[in-house]
Amino acid sequence: MAALTATAPARPVPARGPRRLARRRLPIWHLLWLVVAAAYFVVPVVSLLEFSFGGRVGGHAAGFHWYLTVFNDPSFRSSFLLSVRIAIETVVLSNLLLVPSVFWIHLRLPHLRPVMNFVSVLPFVVPPIVLIVGLIPFLSPFTFLYSRPEVLAFIYVVFALPFLYRSLDAGLRAIDLRTLAEASANCGASSASTLLRVVLPNLRAAVIGGSFLTVAIAMGEFTISSLLSFNTFPVYIFNIGENTGNEAAALSVISLLLTWAFMVGLFIVGRGGRAGAQVAATR
Amino acid sequence: MARLELRGLRKQFGRGVVALDRLDLEVGSGELVSLLGPSGCGKTTALRIVAGFEVPDEGEVLVDGVDVVGLPASRRNMGMVFQSYSLFPNMTAEDNVAYPLRIRRQPKAERQRRSGELLAMVGLATQADRYPHQLSGGQQQRVALARALAHEPAVLLLDEPLSALDAKVRVTLREEVRRVQLELGITTLYVTHDQEEALAISDRVAVMSEGRLEQVGTPAEVYASPRSPFVASFVGTVNRLEATVASRAERTVRCGELVLRVGAEDFEHPDGTTVALYVRPEDVTVRPLTDGPAPAGAGGTVRGVTFLGSVTRVRVDCSLGSVVADVSSEEALHLAPGEAVSVELDPRRLRTLAPA
Ligand SMILES: Nc1ncnc2c1ncn2[C@@H]1O[C@H](COP(=O)(O)OP(=O)(O)OP(=O)(O)O)[C@@H](O)[C@H]1O
Ligand SMILES: [Mg+2]
Repeated sequence: MAALTATAPARPVPARGPRRLARRRLPIWHLLWLVVAAAYFVVPVVSLLEFSFGGRVGGHAAGFHWYLTVFNDPSFRSSFLLSVRIAIETVVLSNLLLVPSVFWIHLRLPHLRPVMNFVSVLPFVVPPIVLIVGLIPFLSPFTFLYSRPEVLAFIYVVFALPFLYRSLDAGLRAIDLRTLAEASANCGASSASTLLRVVLPNLRAAVIGGSFLTVAIAMGEFTISSLLSFNTFPVYIFNIGENTGNEAAALSVISLLLTWAFMVGLFIVGRGGRAGAQVAATR
Repeated sequence: MARLELRGLRKQFGRGVVALDRLDLEVGSGELVSLLGPSGCGKTTALRIVAGFEVPDEGEVLVDGVDVVGLPASRRNMGMVFQSYSLFPNMTAEDNVAYPLRIRRQPKAERQRRSGELLAMVGLATQADRYPHQLSGGQQQRVALARALAHEPAVLLLDEPLSALDAKVRVTLREEVRRVQLELGITTLYVTHDQEEALAISDRVAVMSEGRLEQVGTPAEVYASPRSPFVASFVGTVNRLEATVASRAERTVRCGELVLRVGAEDFEHPDGTTVALYVRPEDVTVRPLTDGPAPAGAGGTVRGVTFLGSVTRVRVDCSLGSVVADVSSEEALHLAPGEAVSVELDPRRLRTLAPA
């Protein structure tokens, strides 16, 4: 017993030293793994960049030529703005539709959650082309909508459903919704007040996360907008690519930068109030 | 202040689970009544029906004589403190407390004044701009109490508000709840499964079992004169011994080698019947057998000694059965397992009930 107590405090001291050192040094295969993973994302972007500066124009190196060509094309601006507009409409529409419904399902109809989980993956299972073929006869009587690009927002809501639903579902599971909703009702609040003042502020991260993916989908969707002949940004890129590869590459780089800028903007807007940011930071 | 009455409340969940079975209870104006009972006996269900989160199958909830069962929770003017932490994570302590006033569209200055006042009352004046995650469990429940009181509700409801806290905090906080309740004179229904807590802070205790009320009375009544075997064994620690009625007229029972005269008035058992005899550990005297005159008690042997602080709990096997006694720790120094002792029961504190 005496021997044990004597060695016990001594042991951790030498053990702790090497372990700390080991933690600082990243094992070589960890590094390798990271490099391979990074290469997956970086290599295409780098080659895209290279290609966008490549080719020869009038006998000398292209430089920023392709970028200037893109910026001077009026269709570039209009198609990009169209896509942004549709993306915003999709985000607003899908959140308006889903936030209250997911709230109600969690609060009052929790037994419907498995059904929702299933329904929400259907858009993955059904190919877009099938979806649009099914949607056209349904939408065509609504001519005022059908002829406007807003129809795309309505369709993209379906594609965004799995992402936004899952994000909101996870967000609601993370809070004690029932107790918070009951506490709020007990304080005299209506369901709408509870949703706006208590639930939504605590769902900010989930709403932003889901909305990011929604934007990415709406900004990048090609098949349907092309089929319905709207000149959205991806359709425009595709058309340019038919003519000049280098210009299309420059365009893609610009579109990447613009999309990122748009998302950062959305993030900043979404973070909004001081309180929300603080809560998010400490979670 | 308001009077709260529950009349014939019945609630069944699904098939078979009867959570409440004709519950009747009155809480007088400014009174604090505890609903005390074991887990699953329907306490929370009763409180949730009062608050409006659950609809009873039958029965009425009257506030000052007006049935509120048809009103949604948001229109009942009740303040509730929940068992789990229920503060809004996106709001500071002050904003949480001011929330009921914001809902009622009171001016900002008034909201600030009132929430400051309430936070001071629960001892959290300096923590007003902390978020819930920056507060301890006990502090969160204090804020929850302040929030439940902000809109000056007619009735205050608490559902085991202290059960998530550690023992020390629980004791200080329950006293604080009682102090605030007395200060405001608010009609209060307090749910707990902790009999000590119920006895400590209540004007009256309502003991529940399996959806029914077993007994309602002051803490002293419920403790000293339990009206059913359930109450006797649930509230406090009690020895249950088997006895036979020796004489109904003389109120005597035979228990082991002793014949005891029972103090309680309502002694109605016919001669010769078997009854259950209840006696609290503090009403049992254990004496070491010394060379003095032979004591009047039953002879027995000490089986176990548990030190509890100011008292020591001694378990004795004797002709009465196995009996626990609380003796002062000083006296207990002379008692060790194996020792021969004499056991006496205080006849004034004996209770008999027909065996369940
Ligand atoms: N929503 C519900 N659905 C089905 N059964 C329920 C529901 N709520 C409560 N019950 C059942 O009703 C009975 C009473 O439950 P209640 O929550 O009122 O007990 P309690 O006295 O508050 O217990 P505890 O001390 O554990 O909180 C239990 O058997 C419980 O399983
Ligand atoms: Mg309960």
